[in-house]
Amino acid sequence: MGDSQYSFSLTTFSPSGKLVQIEHALTAVGSGQTSLGIKAANGVVIATEKKLPSILVDETSVQKIQILTPNIGVVYSGMGPDSRVLVRKSRKQAEQYFRLYKEPIPVTQLVRETATVMQEFTQSGGVRPFGVSLLVAGYDDKGPQLYQVDPSGSYFSWKASAMGKNVSNAKTFLEKRYDEETELDDAVHTAILTLKEGFEGQISGKNIEIGVIDNDKIFRILTPSEIEDYLNEVA
Amino acid sequence: MSRGSGGGYDRHITIFSPEGRLYQVEYAFKAVKAAGITSIGVRGADSVCVVTQKKVPDKLLDQTSVTHLFPITKYLGLLATGMTADARTLVQQARNEAAEFRFRYGYEMPVDSLARWIADKSQVYTQHAYMRPLGVVAMILGIDEEKGPQLFKCDPAGHFFGHKATSAGGKEQEAINFLEKKMKNDPAFSYEETVQTAISALQSVLQEDFKASEIEVGVVRKEDPLFKVLSTEEIDEHLTAISERLTPSSLTKKSVLINISA
Repeated sequence: MGDSQYSFSLTTFSPSGKLVQIEHALTAVGSGQTSLGIKAANGVVIATEKKLPSILVDETSVQKIQILTPNIGVVYSGMGPDSRVLVRKSRKQAEQYFRLYKEPIPVTQLVRETATVMQEFTQSGGVRPFGVSLLVAGYDDKGPQLYQVDPSGSYFSWKASAMGKNVSNAKTFLEKRYDEETELDDAVHTAILTLKEGFEGQISGKNIEIGVIDNDKIFRILTPSEIEDYLNEVA
Repeated sequence: MSRGSGGGYDRHITIFSPEGRLYQVEYAFKAVKAAGITSIGVRGADSVCVVTQKKVPDKLLDQTSVTHLFPITKYLGLLATGMTADARTLVQQARNEAAEFRFRYGYEMPVDSLARWIADKSQVYTQHAYMRPLGVVAMILGIDEEKGPQLFKCDPAGHFFGHKATSAGGKEQEAINFLEKKMKNDPAFSYEETVQTAISALQSVLQEDFKASEIEVGVVRKEDPLFKVLSTEEIDEHLTAISERLTPSSLTKKSVLINISA
């Protein structure tokens, strides 16, 4: 990183053996807007709230769900600016893999490399950990996959997960409703209902974002009108 | 050697506090407000206008050298609210980046690309201890070839959004409240309406009528996409038009002004 005066780590062990900066980063994630992901039998869906600070903000200029490769998408909870850095690094890593091996990067590899970056920022000199948790949704030869990566750099594969403000209610809801045989369409409905649980105000196609990937292996972000169609089916 | 991680240094450099906040970033926002200037930006149907106060603290100062409105390229303008020195380095780097972009890719840097670049740089300062965040909120305006008039705002935290209208500085919240009411039904302002909304918003929020020499106004228009700083004569024309319209804004807005600047 080359931060001359800061050749020592800012994230150090406390007497009880904890890395407090990482704990604080997780707190920052926990105060971010709720996002969630569900792995279905034939695809993955990720979704997030998109609450903007004012009606004056042009919502078309904001996109929280991002595409990393044609078959991998990502959503975050926590600090938006930090997520942009990770998205940029991940995209580059995916391209470098492709240039070297001439095949698309497997989901697990991309997740692992992103997680490594996040871990480096908990140990390198003069930097703080990232204040985001990521949900990575992808579909490759191993089938549909959903991974959650935390500020510490640890990652797990999930059948369904949630992060952010409403995490405990959302996870309880998902635990009740999760079924391994669910199809993607039903998973989208479940995702919407989970978001609706903790949503303040009127949910609409403009204040949530949904990304899906099904067995055509192409990650797509739904348009506001497509979201409205799903909302009408669920209401 | 100074050690972070809760040793009380979470206020000195950008590491997390126990609540998961970055105090240095929050203090940078306060520095923007402490500069004592308020700025406003409004996006119309085919133009964008930004307005800011021009306070010249000493009569011996050359007023032409006091400015917060900077052209970045012929087509992009930047209004910096907050610490002037930080603003100047930001402008310098933005000008360099926009020029390199034009050289590298062969076309003019779009508004959102510049805004994203500035925001990404600001994010680096919030994550690396060796540099503090800049005490500047930048509003970038320009006409995008595909999307039309664009107004972006970038802050010390590294956030950037496109705006229909926005504000920054000491009376930011009051101005946003005023603008939310005006823009509620997505009006499509003409060039004159855009400029007058911006100027009258500033007048209403600061509760004073300006002379042309006390404000700076920058515009871009679809029919003339060059970034222009209006001359005092042109500002005067708009000011006259506003006072002739007898806006009721000066009467109603006083009662609901809530000052929440820290």
